[in-house]
Parts: sequence; structure tokens; C-alpha cells
Amino acid sequence: MSVVELVRLALSRIGSSRLRAALTMLGVIIGVASVVALVAVGQGATSGITARLEGLGTNLLTVTPGSSTEGFTRRAAGSATTLTVDDAKAISALDGIAAVEPEISTQQLVQAGTLNTTTNIVGTTADFMPVRAYTIWQGSFLTDASVNAGLRVAVLGSTTADDLGLDASSIGSQISIGGLPFQVAGILQAKGSAGPFSQDDQVLIPLATAQHYFVQGESVRSIGVSVADADQMDLAKAEIQSALEQRHGIAADGTDDFTIQDQAQLLSTVSAVTTTLTILLAGIASISLVVGGIGIMNIMLVSVRERTREIGIRKAIGARGRDVMAQFLIEALTLSLLGGLVGIVVGVAVSALIGALAGWGFVFNPITPFVAIVFSLAVGVIFGVWPARQAARLDPIVALRYE
Amino acid sequence: MSEPIVALDGVWRVYDMGRLQVVALRDIDLRVAPGEFVAVVGPSGSGKSTLMHIVGCLDRPTSGEYRLASTPVGTLDDDGLARFRSRTIGFVFQSYNLLARTTALDNVAAPLLYQGVSRRERLARARASLERLGLGDRLDHTPAELSGGQQQRVAIARALVTDPALILADEPTGNLASDQGAEVLALFKELHQAGRTIVLITHDHDVAAAADRQVHLRDGGIVDRPLAA
Repeated sequence: MSVVELVRLALSRIGSSRLRAALTMLGVIIGVASVVALVAVGQGATSGITARLEGLGTNLLTVTPGSSTEGFTRRAAGSATTLTVDDAKAISALDGIAAVEPEISTQQLVQAGTLNTTTNIVGTTADFMPVRAYTIWQGSFLTDASVNAGLRVAVLGSTTADDLGLDASSIGSQISIGGLPFQVAGILQAKGSAGPFSQDDQVLIPLATAQHYFVQGESVRSIGVSVADADQMDLAKAEIQSALEQRHGIAADGTDDFTIQDQAQLLSTVSAVTTTLTILLAGIASISLVVGGIGIMNIMLVSVRERTREIGIRKAIGARGRDVMAQFLIEALTLSLLGGLVGIVVGVAVSALIGALAGWGFVFNPITPFVAIVFSLAVGVIFGVWPARQAARLDPIVALRYE
Repeated sequence: MSEPIVALDGVWRVYDMGRLQVVALRDIDLRVAPGEFVAVVGPSGSGKSTLMHIVGCLDRPTSGEYRLASTPVGTLDDDGLARFRSRTIGFVFQSYNLLARTTALDNVAAPLLYQGVSRRERLARARASLERLGLGDRLDHTPAELSGGQQQRVAIARALVTDPALILADEPTGNLASDQGAEVLALFKELHQAGRTIVLITHDHDVAAAADRQVHLRDGGIVDRPLAA
């Protein structure tokens, strides 16, 4: 008997008891759907987080002032004011560094017409845009000329611009920052938030301007470094470390008063965590697949009982044991496969919904349904073989007499 | 005379019930020639069913030899027996034994499925077989939608569809009203006249009278003539 004949037989059998077939398949449907959905959600979350971290800047190293020790008290990270504009200049002189931007920041009231908001004012250089991976939406970014001259020009984050009612037509208009007039040079493209901090609610002004009017002294909040080659990250990190240790007079085995954060490191840590979580969730979901398989086995065993007479008739008219076995096995496989297909559709729909709600979009991995199909077929075989053997072994005389 | 279709020589069938041994058939010699219509008659418990199972290759003799269409059945394994059975014997049962929820056409086509006949040919042959038995307008009816007599005719159509060497009927009229039973019996006579070899098993002497020859079974053995009831 060909597989086509057997599938036809199985489908007509399933068609004649639809409710039972649907209930039997439900276990597999739930199992496959939850595996597919959880894997997709896990991958969606991973790629969402990855995209956001990449959005922070490519090949990015961030140098921040580290912990400082005064007397016997070790202060929290960021408390030191040891990082200076000159450190940034020294870093930019190193090999393999593409761009460097020092940042200082302050909170100020910003006014435009009748609207106002209090936000982060960042004093930086023209390299801020490439290092932090921003793009300009309207107007232009800070230029080297405006930075060097310490002009009162400002580039606004998209959220800040919205809050102040500024749009494309506002380029060149006057706003007030901390009571001082500034000219709007440009508005940045929106980027979304990274963690709790909005990357779009800030105002960028030339470093020298910020130092002159708002933050006195040479110390900076952080230095963003863009490394020319992604493969050279570790090397660049080591170079920066030794250069700063030398400048700050710290011995190679001493405690650094700065911290260098590696974007790639953070990225791999995050993706390792989410991958582990995804596997864990899929593992839990696959338990329901096993339960679904037991449901199929149960119903097939009942079916063998109920259809004892049919088996007897089929044997009397020439079915061999293996024909009967194949018939019941294909029936179990058809049930699990149909369940698997429905489960994939449900799982994809659920993951698309969750992706849309969570805002990381819909990630479809073609491997997942493939694996799900293989799994549901395996469930069909594993839990279908035993009932099928029971059917195949029936003695036709006994089976025919069975009422 | 040509080689017999059915040849049993000294066939015993003993059921081993633990300590007790039950003899169902003792030393049966039986020959059925091609084209013969033989009725095996006996009261219940006489071993009719056991004999039918052995002749029908559903069971094997404990001892003795059984040759069906010149093939020694004892040498075949279960699968070989199933294959041989499907090609050589057409069964007609007392309770019809049609597949439930399956149309008459598919029921009649089912034995061909196990012979590996293509679907197109299966359906064509099943249709022809049903039409020959006057059921051309009942092809899509399921057993539940047919009368007992019609169901038995579907079962006969199924037995004939493989063109078997032997038709083996077990109380084919047992579940039927007398007029429908008579119809079915007339059908067997027609088949016999068309040259079919038929073994009919019954407890009913009137039914047995339709055959050319009667074999009387009592307490597992063949007797010359029936004892007075």
C-alpha cells in the first residue's frame, strides 16, 4: 500500500470524527504553538535589544570617570572628576581610533516661544554624531568651526523638539537655554530609548560653549571613542587604558580612576542571556508537546479497541500485519502533523501579535516551523507505534468475533 | 478430474486450554473440486466455524495437511497467508462485516487496496462488481443506509471483486429475513452456474439443500449423514 493511499484513508477517518480529531490535535497544537511563539518572542527580544545597543554607536568604547579614593573611603563609580578634555585629545592621537567625542552635561530650562522644558544639555564636538550613531533630520549638526568658536548654536533631539513645538521650519530660529539665546542649527532623527534613558530628549551644544556658560572646569562626563576596525576593539581598549594610566600617573597594577565600557562585550552578554532564556522557555513549552503526544497515543489506543472489528475485516480481506500497522501509524502521524501545522500558524500569529505590542516587530525564523514539524512528526511516530503494533498483532478470528 | 481447490487430509485442530485439550476438528478429509458448490452442515458446536477458519486460512491445523489451490498452506507465514488469502478466497460472513461509515464502492474496492491495484482500476472493478449484483444505484450508500439483503449483496460483490478461486460463505443468510435470504441463496446458485467454486457453511438444512453436495459435521468429525434432530 502506498503512503498516498494510507494518508487518504487517515484523512477520511479523521474527517468522519472531526471533533475527536480536533481535541486530540489540541495538545500538539498548543505544544507547537507555544514553542514557535516563545522562540520567536525570544529571538525578537534579542534582535530588538541588539538593534538598540547597536544604535548606541558602532565599535563604541565609552570611557567614564571611575571610582575615586579619598583617604580610606572609596566612592561610587562616576564620582571622580578625573577625565578631562585633554584626555580626549590624547585618545584621539592613538592609532586605530576613528573619532572621539568628550561630553559634559547639565540640566537647564529650555524655552521656545511660550513652551518650555527642562532637559539634558550636552556639550560636545562634531564627532558626537558619528560616534553615537545619530543622523540629522533637519538643518545641520554642530560643525568643527562652531565648536571651536564656542558659538551659541544648538542641535535638538527629536523629543525635545516636539516638546518645544519646533519643526523643520524652526531651523535658524531662536530658543533660550538657561536664559541665554541660542540659534537652532538642526534637529536629530528619532532613535528610540535605550533602557530607561531617552536618546531623543537632549540638546547638543558646542563643548566650549557649555564650559563657558554652564559647567566650569576641564572635567568631562564621558568620552565616546569610535574604533576604526571592529576586530581591533581589545587592542584599542588596552591602548586607551595604558595611555590614560600614564596621563593620570597610575601604575599598571594600580586601581584605575576610569572605566572603559565595550559595546560588543555588553552585546554578547545580553544575547547570551536572552538565548539562554529562549532555550529555557522553549524547553518548558516542549513539555506540552510531550503531553500532546500522550493524548494522541491515548486516543489511538482507544481507537484500536473500538475498531477491532474493522481490523478483523481488513485482515480477512487481505491486509497483512504491516498494512494495519502502517494504517494506524499514518493516522497518528497525520493527526500530529495537522496539529503541528495548525500550531505553527497559531504560534506565528501569537508571536507577531506580541512583537507588535512590544514594538520590536515580527521576526520570522524559517527554521522554527521546520523544527516544529520534525518534532510533531517525531511525536506522532513515538506515540503512534505502540497502538499501531497492538492493532497489527490482533488475531483476525478474535477481531471478527469482537462485538 | 483436475486438482481440487480445497484438499484437507487428516486435519486436526486441538485448542490447548491449559490442562484441558479441546478437540474442535478430528481427522477431517475433505475435497472440493473446481466449480463445485459444497455445503458444510452441522449444529452449533460441531466445529463448523473452526473448519471455516482453517479453510479460509484464518487459522492453521494442529496436524494434517491443507492444500488450497495446490498450495500447502502450512508453509506460509502470517503475511504470506494474508496475501494468499486475499488473492484466493472471497469471504461472505453472516454479519456482512462491511466497513462502517464507508461507501459500498469503497467497501468492495478494499480487498484490491491490499493487492496494490491502482485507485482508478480499483474503483472501476468495484463498480462493475456492484453493478453485476444489481447495486449500481447504491454505490455511495454506507452500510447503515442499506437493508440487510443489500448489505449482504455488497459483501458478495466484495468477495467477487478479486476474482477468487474459492467463495467461502459462513451462514450468509443467518441474519436475513426469509425472502432476502432466498434472494441471496439464489445469487449463490447463479454464481455456481457461472462456474464459481463455493463452500457454504450453515446449520440450516434448507439452505444446505441449495448446494450440489452436503458435508455433515458432528462433534468435530465428518459423518455420513445427519443424525435425526
